[in-house]
Amino acid sequence: MASGSAATANLMLRGGAILVLLMMSLSIAVVFVAGIDPALGDLDNRLAAPGAAGVLGTDQLGRDVLVRTLAGTAWSLGAAFAATLLALLIGTSLALLAAELGGRTALAIELAVNSVITMPGLIIAIIVIAVIGQGWLPIVVTLGLITWPIFTRVILAEALSLKARDYVAASRLVGETRFRIVVFHYLPALRPTLLVMAAFHFADMLIAEGALSFLGLAAPLGEPTWGNMMADARPYVFSAPWMLLAPAAAIVVSVIAANLIGDGLASRFRGQRT
Amino acid sequence: MPETGETRRDSRRIRAALYRAGRELLRIGVLIMVVTSALFFLLRLTGDPSAMLAGPDASEEQLAAIRAEYGLDRPLIVQYTSYLSHLATGDFGVSLASGQPALTVVLDALPATLALALPALLVAFLFAIGLGAWLGSGVGRARQLASGLIFVLQGTPGFVAGLLLIQLFAIELAWLPSMGAYGAASYALPVATLTLFLLPKQTRLIASSVREAYREDYVRTAVAIGASEREVLFRHVLPNAMVGSVALLGAQAALLLSGATVTETIFGWPGAGTLLLSSAQVLDFPVIQAIAIIVALLVFLANVLADLAVAALDPRVRDAAEAV
Repeated sequence: MASGSAATANLMLRGGAILVLLMMSLSIAVVFVAGIDPALGDLDNRLAAPGAAGVLGTDQLGRDVLVRTLAGTAWSLGAAFAATLLALLIGTSLALLAAELGGRTALAIELAVNSVITMPGLIIAIIVIAVIGQGWLPIVVTLGLITWPIFTRVILAEALSLKARDYVAASRLVGETRFRIVVFHYLPALRPTLLVMAAFHFADMLIAEGALSFLGLAAPLGEPTWGNMMADARPYVFSAPWMLLAPAAAIVVSVIAANLIGDGLASRFRGQRT
Repeated sequence: MPETGETRRDSRRIRAALYRAGRELLRIGVLIMVVTSALFFLLRLTGDPSAMLAGPDASEEQLAAIRAEYGLDRPLIVQYTSYLSHLATGDFGVSLASGQPALTVVLDALPATLALALPALLVAFLFAIGLGAWLGSGVGRARQLASGLIFVLQGTPGFVAGLLLIQLFAIELAWLPSMGAYGAASYALPVATLTLFLLPKQTRLIASSVREAYREDYVRTAVAIGASEREVLFRHVLPNAMVGSVALLGAQAALLLSGATVTETIFGWPGAGTLLLSSAQVLDFPVIQAIAIIVALLVFLANVLADLAVAALDPRVRDAAEAV
């Protein structure tokens, strides 16, 4: 945010991490430890306002909005995390390959990067879903396949500048293998960039998963995800606004938490460099 | 006369940018070829549109007739070469859903999308300059509160903001319509949704560029020789801070064109995003591919325009371009 001091950076980092951990543990406590079924509905208490039937009200099938929102935490944060990891792995590996091998490999990888960026993500999403079906894994694969070029672009540029450094040239001269150079020289130097990018990417993936589920493309119908809950809420915005507010707040809070972590990491690393 | 020197520099600057645009044009040609081919085969993996076209009760003969009519019974490679040779003459094929030429269908939907995207880009840019200049040029409680709000806004996805705007302005207050494109008032909420999506990033970028510019030597010199606060901000700080922001504007325009689907869906807006979603649901290949190609071209155009604007604004970029 405003100040770039080390104290603020730490505060943001901790704040973000605590928010994510808090949401995750609440979700795990309710859904897995207490074993409350988010699909369980009380048909006598449909569209009930926040109160006795549910702390945050109930939906059109009488299901508890709070329980579903918390169950959605595990689904959505998990999917965003896995998608980020997949994009990072594909994107970084290809960037390192392009940087080390150069030549035609690098050209082919650059072409792949530009092609994927040019294709509308929604089209890829629809294709993957049509081929492997809706669900948690398809959404992770789809988001990973659409977004890896972001990592390739940034990491390739950094890896190329590392390649030109003296210590890398020196280790090449003493006969270190390409693999060792990548693992022991490139990766440690790339760590700050990767961590910061991963945090912001995680925020983007949360938003993307929510949007795709909202369009009915990601999560199977009825599954308790934030995007699905918001899609469910649309016909009832007039009679049951609480259906919309709980998942909306959950998305906003978790995206803010991820942005806090990203900003905190970025200013911490910036402080280390200067 | 110093004027002519300036003009010559200007024209050289523009020529350098045009040269880069030409090189980019070649690149986009190759790119569209690759994307078109990839999409062609990927889309045919997903299924048979004849079943979708004929409806659930169609007999085997009806399906065969439809496949023959649209040429779907030919080997894939024949379909591919025929598609490409038609494409080379500007023929995108016929929409399977409506029977209209695919290009016409897409070009009919495009103005509605641009009518949301362009005002949103303009409004977001103007607000971001004002807000960013204010945030970057000082410290204090009010600025802290404002940048906190912008941080929260950045964490709010477009579809969440859109639904909340509908909840507030269309339902609670009943001031504005929430569905469709009927009259000027119906533009308010979708444009606001896109603006809120664009604004935080722009504002934060301008604020941090403004903050940095104040530390630059040329600004400190201007302050030292007694330029007024207003003069420093408008003549020295803002023009430099806007360079990065214009580049971001190009990237955001690209994002809006391909990513307006969610906003258009929420507001029932008859644009290219809605068309993409409905075409995808019925596997209308020609329309999906036409959208992909048109969007790729527009994204390219947005980036070239941003590039030209940056070259015109920033002498450092111009000099780098001339050196190439």
